[in-house]
Amino acid sequence: MTDSVLPPELEAIRSRLPEMVADLERRAPYGAALATSSAGLQVAVSDRESRVSEDQRSQGAVLSAWNGAFLQERAVGSLAPEALAGAAHALAAELELRPGPAPEPGPPRDEHLSRPTEIDPRTQTPRDKLELCQRYHAAVRGLDPHIVNAMVTYNETAEAKVFAGRGRLLSQSITRIRFQILLIVSDGQKVQRDWLMRDGTGGLEIAHIADDELRALAAEAAALLGAGRIEPGFYDVVFDPTVSGVMAHEAFGHGVEADMFVKGRARAAEYLGKRVGSPLVNLLDDPTVPGAYGSYLLDDEGQVAAPTTILREGVFERGLTDLYSAFRLGIPRTANGRRQGYERKAYARMSNTFFARGTTPVDELIAGVERGVYLRKTSSGMEDPKGWGVQVEANIGEEIAGGRRTGRLFSPVGITGYVPDILASVSAVGNDFALDGGNCGKGWKEWVPVSSGGPHLRLKARLG
Amino acid sequence: MHDHLLQTLGHTSGVHDWRLRRVVTASTQYYLAGREPENERSVNSERFEVEVYNDHPAAQGGEMRRGSAAVTLLPGDEARIDARIRQAVFMAGLTDNPPFDLPGPAVYPQVLTADRLLEAEPARVARDLAGRLLEAVAHEPGISLASAEFFVDRHEMELENSRGVNGREARTSLLVDFVLLARDEAGHETESHVEVRRRALQGVDLPELVRRQAQYARDTLRAGEPETGRFPVIISGDALHQLLGGSFMSPLAFRSSARFKYEGVSRWELGASVYDGATPTGDPLTVYANAILPWGLGSGAFDEDGVPGARLQVIEHGVLRSFWAPQRYAQYLQVPPTGAFGNLEVLPGSLAVADMWQGVGLLYHVVAFSSMMPDPVTGNFVGEIRLGYERRGHEVRPIKGGSLSGNLFVGLAHARLSQETVMLGDYLGPQAVRFPELTVSGR
Repeated sequence: MTDSVLPPELEAIRSRLPEMVADLERRAPYGAALATSSAGLQVAVSDRESRVSEDQRSQGAVLSAWNGAFLQERAVGSLAPEALAGAAHALAAELELRPGPAPEPGPPRDEHLSRPTEIDPRTQTPRDKLELCQRYHAAVRGLDPHIVNAMVTYNETAEAKVFAGRGRLLSQSITRIRFQILLIVSDGQKVQRDWLMRDGTGGLEIAHIADDELRALAAEAAALLGAGRIEPGFYDVVFDPTVSGVMAHEAFGHGVEADMFVKGRARAAEYLGKRVGSPLVNLLDDPTVPGAYGSYLLDDEGQVAAPTTILREGVFERGLTDLYSAFRLGIPRTANGRRQGYERKAYARMSNTFFARGTTPVDELIAGVERGVYLRKTSSGMEDPKGWGVQVEANIGEEIAGGRRTGRLFSPVGITGYVPDILASVSAVGNDFALDGGNCGKGWKEWVPVSSGGPHLRLKARLG
Repeated sequence: MHDHLLQTLGHTSGVHDWRLRRVVTASTQYYLAGREPENERSVNSERFEVEVYNDHPAAQGGEMRRGSAAVTLLPGDEARIDARIRQAVFMAGLTDNPPFDLPGPAVYPQVLTADRLLEAEPARVARDLAGRLLEAVAHEPGISLASAEFFVDRHEMELENSRGVNGREARTSLLVDFVLLARDEAGHETESHVEVRRRALQGVDLPELVRRQAQYARDTLRAGEPETGRFPVIISGDALHQLLGGSFMSPLAFRSSARFKYEGVSRWELGASVYDGATPTGDPLTVYANAILPWGLGSGAFDEDGVPGARLQVIEHGVLRSFWAPQRYAQYLQVPPTGAFGNLEVLPGSLAVADMWQGVGLLYHVVAFSSMMPDPVTGNFVGEIRLGYERRGHEVRPIKGGSLSGNLFVGLAHARLSQETVMLGDYLGPQAVRFPELTVSGR
């Protein structure tokens, strides 16, 4: 087990940031600095070609100052002290100061935050990672004659950042790993695809898929060639954790990002302290989940990570804030101020968002459905915080008849509905739990790594 | 940095070819929460993207193979250039791909990609747009502004390679993103959200955009649910752009890509129908990969390898005529290199938009999806209807909720395309398409 440290460029600038913030605060009532560094590796192996390459590397910093009414920021794609000093000087000069209250940076703290890694990716060479992908490619390629291409990809991103505010100097280092096997299958007429993903924060231990899972993937991919389109209508359904998770994320997560409250875009604002779902439903956002893909120890505005309970037994308890929304709404901050990079502003964003585990065995969830659909493997979703509509797309739906899965598949399956109706219809919550990573946008941009998940859920939903 | 990089690439052992892209970016961003500023920022960055190509005997068989790998160098990296290039050579040497060449020098077309109005005073443009937006919203009764974002960006690119390519181009882009709220007398509120990306200021008609989005927000207030069944469906504007343009890549571009043909993912064949077995009954589909469309978001004088931008006929009357092909995959498939796809250009059809609803009984017209990301491999799609209209003869009522699903390639076999065209950033084509039958999952 190893602890991660800051890359040298960030280590060199760490001690100089407080001075820049102090300079800013000679003019502005609140100042802050964030310096970031990310570097990655991508490895891809398919039937026809392979690649080992650096994933696009980025380094930069953003200086922020509150002018009495709003934030003004200058960002530069450099960690050179003179570049940052120049940006700080320019920002101080262009501030449009106005009278008014200002955010507070929080209590003093000076700490580097990191978590130990089991198999540190730095101890393995790019050749090791290529061979890992080649082994999985060889293992999966011959599993079914319908496979026309198998693509194995490994992505590793080492992210580090330093935040400086008045009295606060915090830093963190995190490595995110995504490992995916994608199968393209064909019967000569139709083409389909199916995939398996492993992701998380940590080390190479994440990139492991068992042989029986590979065989199941190949069998399911081939079976998808016979998948039909589902008859539209309302169904009793069972969600797997990936579908549960995207429902949690899209249906309620985006709608409780508190910048939406400031902008008048959140219907959830009318439901604070009120019931919005079944008493079986508990929903959390927790950036501290060990090893989850959306985890972090420090948000991009200097707030140390901590879990937030959004729904407790179906009642809306609190939302997720960034600095601006917490200040404007006069509510406590949560550690959800996140940026796509130094190039973009911070917004209130989710981290790992999930339904809490229940008590019902998964077999019993399915056995309790007379006629319905088992939905698994989410491919996308979209929020509607004002209308409280929701769209989630599952790659696979499997018919349930008489409490049993029949093997009859549908693909893809769209799940739509009105959020309170969906949450109120939850009739059983599984005793399992899994998280699935991905990248989340705000609207159509501002991508940040997140995960979502939970247990299997049984509920009613409109499918199409 | 630049000269040192060239010297290092020239003398480092194992660098058999190289490509160097210098990208300088300046971004001005302005945000409103309600009517008030929320944030104002400026961003400047510079990076050198180096791709190194290494030729070596294959690990198995011994024939010559080529690998390539990228590294990014940033300001402050001067002392690490040698080590970074050696790292790239090491990574490139790990993979045994079939050999391919880099493009050589070429005459590049003149393409409109940089708007002087955006280049000159980006901060002023952003603030002016905010002012014009607030003014336009003030003219809409019952409508207020929830939020707005304005990005004025400029990218300057210089491209060189070991075979003599030398190109330089500036590209601007403008993003306008805003959310309007409508409120009825009972206090119910709805929103309409739009995000517009264009290369030039002239591509954004803000008053018209506000008028349209305000009407969408008002219509959403009184929208009901659609019925369930299979119905004729018109999809228009941004919703059509999403359907044809896809999320990361248009399904039409994906299927006609030499790369995905080489990978075995596209089953399309030159000279064969693109309708996945469906017998065409609609307007014939003709598609161009247009990388030289004036002000197109996908336009450029050259692609990332240095292949000149061009307008390529990909599909003619529903038959695949060409695969669009970057240099590498052109050689793998033994087709001419055409460069990047650029923008999706679809030729117009035979039906006026005003005639699309005539004589078909119950019909749905979708103007906004919550999300529409057709699967480029299968062509299947499903998307929630954020706003649409149900038409029964002269009766029109707004609808929302439920989903629309189908298969894009089969649907296009039977689709009627509008005579009128629209330019939406990286799409030039029919303003609306009528599909004779798609599945609606509603009440």
